[in-house]
Amino acid sequence: MLKDLGSPSRSTSSRSTAPRSAFRSAGEAPLRSAGTSRDVRRRRTVLLLVVLACFTLIVLDARRSAGSPVEPLREAAAGVFGPLESTATSARQPVDNLRDRFAEMDRLKAENEKLKKDNEDLTRELTTSDYARNRAQELDKLLKVAPAYTMTPARVIGIGSAQTFSHTVTIDAGTADGVHTDMTVLNGTGLVGRVVRTTQGTATVLLIGDRNSTVGGRLNASMALGFVSGRGEVGGTLDYKLIDPKARPKVGDRIVTWGSSGNAPYVPGVPIGVVTSVTANEGSLGSTATVKPYVDPTRIDTVGVVTGPPARAPRPQLTGKGN
Amino acid sequence: MIALRIGLAALFLMIAVTVQTSVLTNVAVAGVTCDLTLIVVIALALSRGPEWGAIAGFMGGLLLDVVPPADHTAGRWALSLAIAGYIAGLIRRETSGSPVGPLGVALTVVLGTAVSFFIYSATGSLLHDPSVDWGEFGVRLGIAAGYDVVGAIVVIPLVMWIMGRVQPARERRRVAP
Repeated sequence: MLKDLGSPSRSTSSRSTAPRSAFRSAGEAPLRSAGTSRDVRRRRTVLLLVVLACFTLIVLDARRSAGSPVEPLREAAAGVFGPLESTATSARQPVDNLRDRFAEMDRLKAENEKLKKDNEDLTRELTTSDYARNRAQELDKLLKVAPAYTMTPARVIGIGSAQTFSHTVTIDAGTADGVHTDMTVLNGTGLVGRVVRTTQGTATVLLIGDRNSTVGGRLNASMALGFVSGRGEVGGTLDYKLIDPKARPKVGDRIVTWGSSGNAPYVPGVPIGVVTSVTANEGSLGSTATVKPYVDPTRIDTVGVVTGPPARAPRPQLTGKGN
Repeated sequence: MIALRIGLAALFLMIAVTVQTSVLTNVAVAGVTCDLTLIVVIALALSRGPEWGAIAGFMGGLLLDVVPPADHTAGRWALSLAIAGYIAGLIRRETSGSPVGPLGVALTVVLGTAVSFFIYSATGSLLHDPSVDWGEFGVRLGIAAGYDVVGAIVVIPLVMWIMGRVQPARERRRVAP
């Protein structure tokens, strides 16, 4: 690659200097030509150094498990750019900008309350339909230990572009607000994603539509378990595969999270999306469903991070009483 | 003068990264954002040459790599933008003596977008990043290139004008006529 870049530059520079030196005085000509070849060498050295620096960075950062040395750099960048992004985000809404700080806080409080209420309504809505019909008894118990999660409201201040292929957003809450990695992020309509990276004042959220994301999803109608994985598409379309190959999802079935142990990274009972089409797997049993998420990934603004678990973890409680 | 130029370039890059990650994503076309950082890098390369292009590209790309919500291996955008900046600088040298025309600038931006996006995707593939989707590559590149040209119409003349103001008189004489 370096050679490809270097070779035409030599030919062009020698070609372009030839007519130009004709315009210069005779005394300057040899000096200039010596200068250009030195220029070319210096230019290539700079390119080589920069490319080497890039490769060093990539190699250093590629081994995620060992703790990347780039982490401090990320922290520093988030420290500087988090407030900048925050400012830029609020500057795009001139109406919000006109209000003073207290009005903004009131608005956030109201929004938070609405968010909580919406979430409660949704949980109730979910539990009153198919869910309840199927397992009314368990649900009674579930309602008793209803997930009254503590939520931290946050605003989306940065969105990853499609050019990066990754579906991530930055929110303006960080470790200072009690947000840590592997926490569930949701909004009024459903599951948004999970926190993958935090700094003092910001957190990075991996959306469920990302190809790296897999969420355990339960079919509301049949309680069948499966996995929801992102397709990496802009609209956030998801794939849903059931664990039981004989179970078949139907169009219009709704999917909620079945939760992870210790409520990290996903708490149970959060709506994910609705099945829009089902195709049989080729060459194997089972079927894959296409799921349209409730949350439009391009329209996320205010989200809630589940920072506090319910008083008791609902799942162990259920099985304990059920047995 | 050199300190002022470096300061200005750093300021441009910081503004570009901030605006690109938090403002422009709200007016994204099919998820594709205008690569403001790339445009600034190209503008710097066109006004100062390949070394500046490579170094500005490296710094700007590094910012894109580490500023949230980036979650990929750091260094990928740095490499992409450094090479795109270097190539843009070479185009400036090729036509040096006369300023690059509007069509030349547009073509440089398209080339820069293609080169940077390709290198970014290719490094992702090499690192086995499952999120890279070559099926989407063509569409996204097309949208990005068009969007970047639109952005460049506004940004490049501005940046080049400001960088031209802080050029030493010796260089201004050499380039201007």
